[in-house]
Amino acid sequence: MTAPSGPATVTGPTAEIPSSTRRRRRPLTAALPTGTALVFLLPAALLFGFFVLYPMVTALTYSLYSWRGTSQESFVGLGNFVQLFTAEPYATQVPRAFAHNLLLFAGSMVVQNSVGLLLAVVLHRRRRFKRLFQVLYTMPYLVSPLVIGYLWSLLLSPLFGPVNALLKTVGLEALALPWLGDPSTALWVVVLVTAWQWVGFPLLLYGAALGGLDQSLEEAAELDGATARQRFWHITLPLLTPIIGTVSVLTFIFSMEAFPIPYALGGSTGSPAGATDVMSLLFYRTAFQSGSSNAIGTSSAIAILLFLVIFGLSVAFNRWFRRAERRLT
Amino acid sequence: MHRRRVLASTAAVAAAVLALSACAPSDDAPDPGADGGATSAAGSEDCTEPVALDVWSWRTEDKDAYEAIFDVFEEANPCITVNFQAYKNTEYNQILQTGLTGSDGPDVAQVRSYGLLQPLVEGGNLAPLDDVVPALAEFDDAILDGARGKEDDALYGVPFATQTIQVFYNTAIFEEHGLEEPETWEDFIAINDTLEGAGVTPLAVGAKDAWFVPTVHDALTAAQYGGADFQQALREGSTDFNDPAYVASIQTFADLEQYMPDDVVGVGYTDAQVLFTSGAAAMFAGGSYELAFFQSSNPELELGVFQVPPPEGSALDHPVSPGYADGNWGLSAASDNTEEAETLLNWLADAEFGQMVANDLKQFSPVPGVEFDEPLMQEMWDLYQENPAPYLLLVDYRYGDPVGTDLMGEGGQQLFLGELDAAGVASKIQDGLSAWWTPGQ
Amino acid sequence: MATTLAVPGTASATSRPATPPGRRTGGVRAALTSTLLWVYAAVAILPLLTMVLNSFRTNSELVSEPLGLPAEPSLAAYQEAWIEASFSTYFWNSIVVTVGSVALSTIVSLLAAYALARSRSRLMGVIEQVFVSGLMMPVFLMIVPIFYLLDAIGMVSTRTGLVLVYAAVSIPFSVFVLGTFFRQLPGELEEAARIDGAGPLRMFWSVMLPLVRPAVATVVVFRFVPIWNDFFYPLILVRDRTKYTLPVGLTTFFGEYQTSWSTLFAGLVIATLPLVVLFLLATKQIISGLTAGMGK
Repeated sequence: MTAPSGPATVTGPTAEIPSSTRRRRRPLTAALPTGTALVFLLPAALLFGFFVLYPMVTALTYSLYSWRGTSQESFVGLGNFVQLFTAEPYATQVPRAFAHNLLLFAGSMVVQNSVGLLLAVVLHRRRRFKRLFQVLYTMPYLVSPLVIGYLWSLLLSPLFGPVNALLKTVGLEALALPWLGDPSTALWVVVLVTAWQWVGFPLLLYGAALGGLDQSLEEAAELDGATARQRFWHITLPLLTPIIGTVSVLTFIFSMEAFPIPYALGGSTGSPAGATDVMSLLFYRTAFQSGSSNAIGTSSAIAILLFLVIFGLSVAFNRWFRRAERRLT
Repeated sequence: MHRRRVLASTAAVAAAVLALSACAPSDDAPDPGADGGATSAAGSEDCTEPVALDVWSWRTEDKDAYEAIFDVFEEANPCITVNFQAYKNTEYNQILQTGLTGSDGPDVAQVRSYGLLQPLVEGGNLAPLDDVVPALAEFDDAILDGARGKEDDALYGVPFATQTIQVFYNTAIFEEHGLEEPETWEDFIAINDTLEGAGVTPLAVGAKDAWFVPTVHDALTAAQYGGADFQQALREGSTDFNDPAYVASIQTFADLEQYMPDDVVGVGYTDAQVLFTSGAAAMFAGGSYELAFFQSSNPELELGVFQVPPPEGSALDHPVSPGYADGNWGLSAASDNTEEAETLLNWLADAEFGQMVANDLKQFSPVPGVEFDEPLMQEMWDLYQENPAPYLLLVDYRYGDPVGTDLMGEGGQQLFLGELDAAGVASKIQDGLSAWWTPGQ
Repeated sequence: MATTLAVPGTASATSRPATPPGRRTGGVRAALTSTLLWVYAAVAILPLLTMVLNSFRTNSELVSEPLGLPAEPSLAAYQEAWIEASFSTYFWNSIVVTVGSVALSTIVSLLAAYALARSRSRLMGVIEQVFVSGLMMPVFLMIVPIFYLLDAIGMVSTRTGLVLVYAAVSIPFSVFVLGTFFRQLPGELEEAARIDGAGPLRMFWSVMLPLVRPAVATVVVFRFVPIWNDFFYPLILVRDRTKYTLPVGLTTFFGEYQTSWSTLFAGLVIATLPLVVLFLLATKQIISGLTAGMGK
């Protein structure tokens, strides 16, 4: 196979916006013809359509009916949804849970994804122990979520947990708070535990992306005297923009749907005093822990509402992000 | 191709694991798929066709005991085998729903009680049992409420356990400090003060787990707000949760916080259990289901129980034991083996089964005529029989959304955090319940 | 260097430039970085070590002292976990189901992601959005229609049914991530391959696929682990106890009020070991993927 011989890559001092040429070049290549693309898509589409899309649509219809216990009754259209905004307890609990989910997302972006990016960049440049660190940092992800929450509530227990004991021996007694008993700290504990479990996710994805980056641009910039920080901000980061977008969208979706960790740390009511209540906990309570006749209808409406919010926000985010990506690169 | 390499390595690991499993302890005792009916002599009686009944439960803790219990049933009924299957409690409701509405479901299943029973009843998934199990007529009425359909008042289950709520105490610690079971409220406070002064945590309570909060509240103050009388008044509509007696009981609850561990909202239910079983705390206000656990985790623990006497001027002048039906055995309306299932259900309402529940599971059986070998259990039961009360928020207030126990759980936490005062908690409960209930219903 | 793809040999040679100015501060910074890396590694591992340590203690020990060293380390919990949770049967089921579904979903997702990344048509954008939307529905809600669906086609309690369901729900994540990586690849390679007369399948197989090996390894890890650890789908969709997977066996240790922590932890240690092995293999692939012949 001959080496590609297209227009010359931009190398050298003007490596500030390196990939614009690459981006501009793409439309010139013959993309995959639609027919072939559809053939490639077919297996996934069939599998997905049958086992995911069809149940999703069915679940949507659940929310449009009223239920008597486990039997479906009459079509009520948006009645279940209206109830979520007008009837108690949903009128207060739904917005509160949404707010908590968004806080979880913000917290995850700041803690989990930033730390993940930082670690990925640091490890990318290292030789020694790189794989060891990758394994160690991702280990929490490998353990079943069933126990992660329990382990941390044990560690953070004000009576028996080593965290507070350690803080006391070190002399930071003021910091030995009842982490999971204080509404102002409880949600952040959920953020931190989630980040602790999931840091491997951005770590590995960014690591894989970094590995695929063109080294020549960075080398050229280095020869020109750019510092590590400049190289990172002006070369590496713009190149990572697409994968950052992907990781962000996925983090958003996972944050909105978080269940095992909030459940293990705060129980089904989002203790303490509802401070860790999130949408999936609300769904769980409504569907399985209430004696309400229309539990299935209401809880389906909650889930569909969550779906619509996630869908809408991620479409908006994608659109904004593509625009930002184009501007950045 | 790297993926082939990954797959090959994985296959190698799998092979290693399987080889290991061959050397592992060979006695796979609960062989999946095999039922516990090793004693059923197949074909020794004139069985036209042996029938296998699927019985589901959420009590994974009791699995071994139930399998032994059902062995007894199988011996008496050689043509029936019982496949007992216990599922994780938190997913049980969903599993049961798919089981009762789809194929391959249970014939007999444990179902929840009171309000949480209603979705299955309304969906037509359970068969009414008034005629099927005549022995039900002998059961205590308050317990049968847990098996009743709200709309037609028919019975949809055979109650399988009664739980009572009282205060457990460490007799060794009491002796050490010269304390005795309290006869009056002042006695109770004095006990708490003495213990606190001696550096022992008087009350092992963990408010982090919201479900535990109403249990403790009822254990400590049920007599103060009026027990069964209050329940009756609410049903008749002559009062609501803002009743002064109820508010006073919540205030008492708040006042007792000083005897609970520091930062009680951060202390979990299991932490509280550990406090008690390790001897760091002297009293534990909780349900009768704790007994088996306390005894098994610390066999050296010497336990006693008492009911908390109400303060002066309370709605009642004697202490009570709140109690409730924990759950029922229900008959699936979709079962193919109705006859055999009915046989089983009748056996489950029988004193023989009830006695085994008491002896092997250490639970209170609602079947009349059961006796308790364990003196502590007998004492708890006698206290309950003498002065019963309903565990109010669980019994009457789970028929809608939000449920009373959740409201009290969250409200109790806010109380301890200082976000709400007693009147605030009471009105939180009243307002929350008013979404689906008004006094007089 | 006119090629857009770096020859990895040169990359590694120049990634450690000997910049004389600031070598001393470089040393301090390197030491600081190392320390922080190790500190966080400890934070990552210590809670898990707690779990491992507690698996060597008995339940009554755990009740009296939730955290502490084993008084008399014993493997009793491991033995009990193996028997009670029917590990020998469930292990095999877990392997079959997880490997099957991850393999299936990765293959179909690779094809789909390539198509979505390389196709101009508007329809593709919509299809991709539909795929990704599959991630947004909470599983608690979808499980009931999925159960009825499997019931209707008679696949309840089959491993095949589980494999198909898992594969289908893995498609959104895999397609989304792989699509991103495919899009990053420059178009000249395909152009050159087309000039050479390669058809789309050939292009896909020989050219594009090797380039996304690190991404594939990552996606495999992020699907293998949650499926291996998942207890929810088999719990609802499988009635036959012989077809359960490992995590379902572990749920028997969760009681209504009391959990048998030491057996649970022991079971988890056993169940997590294959994941660690897989992970080591996968990271090796990621690294070797970076240094393998990228520009053929």
